[in-house]
Amino acid sequence: QFLTELTRLFQKCRLSGSVFITLKKYDGRTKPIPRKGSVEGFEPSDNKCLLRATDGKKKISTVVSSKEVNKFQMAYSNLLRANMDGLKKRDKKSKSKKSKAAQ
Amino acid sequence: MAQYQTWEEFSRAAEKLYLADPMKARVVLKYRHSDGSLCIKVTDDLVCLVYRTDQAQDVKKIEKFHSQLMRLMVAKESRSVAMETD
Repeated sequence: QFLTELTRLFQKCRLSGSVFITLKKYDGRTKPIPRKGSVEGFEPSDNKCLLRATDGKKKISTVVSSKEVNKFQMAYSNLLRANMDGLKKRDKKSKSKKSKAAQ
Repeated sequence: MAQYQTWEEFSRAAEKLYLADPMKARVVLKYRHSDGSLCIKVTDDLVCLVYRTDQAQDVKKIEKFHSQLMRLMVAKESRSVAMETD
């Protein structure tokens, strides 16, 4: 679900603008820690991370846990590599403009 | 804010920073197709490390690093080995 949205986000920004992606470790907190005493019924979980993406206007986010990480990573890596292809190639001879027009 | 010229130094410093305090550190990736540039930042809100590139060969390195950190974050036990196939 998130990956489809992310793909669309990249495609939208192809002609202009930036895509921001944030990755952060997540411990399952849904409420802020109260000033005194301990939080009731809260068990911090260690095996999750939060992934966010935005184009400056639209925001999407998802939580990835250790169970999903393998599957998610394969799709996600392919997605990153397929979309971040506007960068210069090392080879001075190749013209990056040509490959852009072909898209 | 520390800008890194070489990927080697950046990835080592960034991983160290994350391992020092996994809960505080975060990774931000900024891609601009119009500029043809990619920028990766790792910060724990005290120290900030940045690496910028416009080279296609760096995309793969950055994407691998990103995945590596993701794995560290979802790993239940904190081990020093970064890559795990579980």
